[in-house]
Amino acid sequence: MQEFDFYAANTLDELLRLLAQSGGRVIAGGTDVLVQAQRGVFPASVLVDASRVRELRFIGQDGETIRIGALTTYADILASPLLRETAPALVMAAATVGAPQTRARGTLGGNIANASPAGDTLPPLLTLDATVRLVKRGGERVLPLAEVLCGPRQTCLEPGEIIHSVAFRRPSQPTGAAFLKLGNRQGMAIAVVNVAVSLPLDDDGRIAGARVALGAVAPTPVRSPRAEAVLYGQSLNDDVLERAAQAVLYDIAPITDVRGSADYRRKAAVRLTARALRLAAQQIREGAQA
Amino acid sequence: MKPITVTLTVNGQTRTITTLPNKTLLYALREDLGLTGVKDACGGEGECGACTVILDGEAVNACLVLIGQADGRSVETIEGLAQDGELHPLQCAFVETGAVQCGFCTPGAILAAKALLDRDPSPTDDAIREALSGNLCRCTGYSKMIAAVRRAAEEMSHAR
Repeated sequence: MQEFDFYAANTLDELLRLLAQSGGRVIAGGTDVLVQAQRGVFPASVLVDASRVRELRFIGQDGETIRIGALTTYADILASPLLRETAPALVMAAATVGAPQTRARGTLGGNIANASPAGDTLPPLLTLDATVRLVKRGGERVLPLAEVLCGPRQTCLEPGEIIHSVAFRRPSQPTGAAFLKLGNRQGMAIAVVNVAVSLPLDDDGRIAGARVALGAVAPTPVRSPRAEAVLYGQSLNDDVLERAAQAVLYDIAPITDVRGSADYRRKAAVRLTARALRLAAQQIREGAQA
Repeated sequence: MKPITVTLTVNGQTRTITTLPNKTLLYALREDLGLTGVKDACGGEGECGACTVILDGEAVNACLVLIGQADGRSVETIEGLAQDGELHPLQCAFVETGAVQCGFCTPGAILAAKALLDRDPSPTDDAIREALSGNLCRCTGYSKMIAAVRRAAEEMSHAR
């Protein structure tokens, strides 16, 4: 384990002060930070523990806006009726992260800060048009998630800045949403490819503004504007869904690594997207009958 | 590195230790408190579940908790399960169903199962599988473990 000094914060103010004073970095659930520190590659010589900062662990709504605090664990997401209703793809993603031991500790803010191209909650957040609130001593800013993720394991966070929370608007139309992940096994799997989709329908039953986002197929999780364009204004039929799935190939740039080859990832991305779209379409049909 | 002093509850007893801050809960339990039932099989990467302990009621990998993060918290290890010399029903069921071979993954698997039964006293087989999905076993296999957890749940419901 690499060497570092350690401070624990009990409040948000204290967390921001300790980070500013020490030049350190945040540890929360530790499920990524400590794996990297164990390998001696976590870029920090001071860790500031945020795991006791209650102010950052919440799931709430404020009018039509849903907010999730950065310290919300995957287990918290799974247990939230509000998120099951408003962000089912995010809940499906949280269910596939690691194992119960990981989900009890790992946090949504950590999944963003870790900025893995395969981070499971990131495609669902992209399909929700989620924004991220970043705070530091004496300032805050709100950015779209895509602007926070700037490369593999790279975020735009400045020194002393933390992820406070994410926010998204409650869907205003009937919406089908799904998340699917291809891993090498069911438990503890890192995605070979993951995909989230959302299909909102307008009053005429046409797809209003679809979102398709994929992970582990580009330097960051990405949306597929080409797939979204194929879906726009169309009615829900299998031919449209299949053409949209094929269109993701224009927007992804997978690499070959230990989990899969670039060629395999391209094929898997198309099939996984097709399945996710059919699942979302099925949900919306069932929702309409209910 | 500046040493830190941490006070935590381990199997119901308050323990205070002073140690370097880059020590994980796993190695603090093993080296500072002599509780070697908690195992390290994957080298501290959270992959294998052999270091599973119950932290404030939840199964966690002790290799992914810094000792400083455990300050003020309550930890249950395999050493705390037997009461007055009587094995816990999960321990008995693991022995009786042959869910133990080399034994290295057993403490972690039993604690993962205990965290499940504490929350859900009569789990479905799917819930048992899910609860054990973070615990790797390389010799016994999983069928007997699932049977053991099912049997322990039955025993415990009769006892109530």
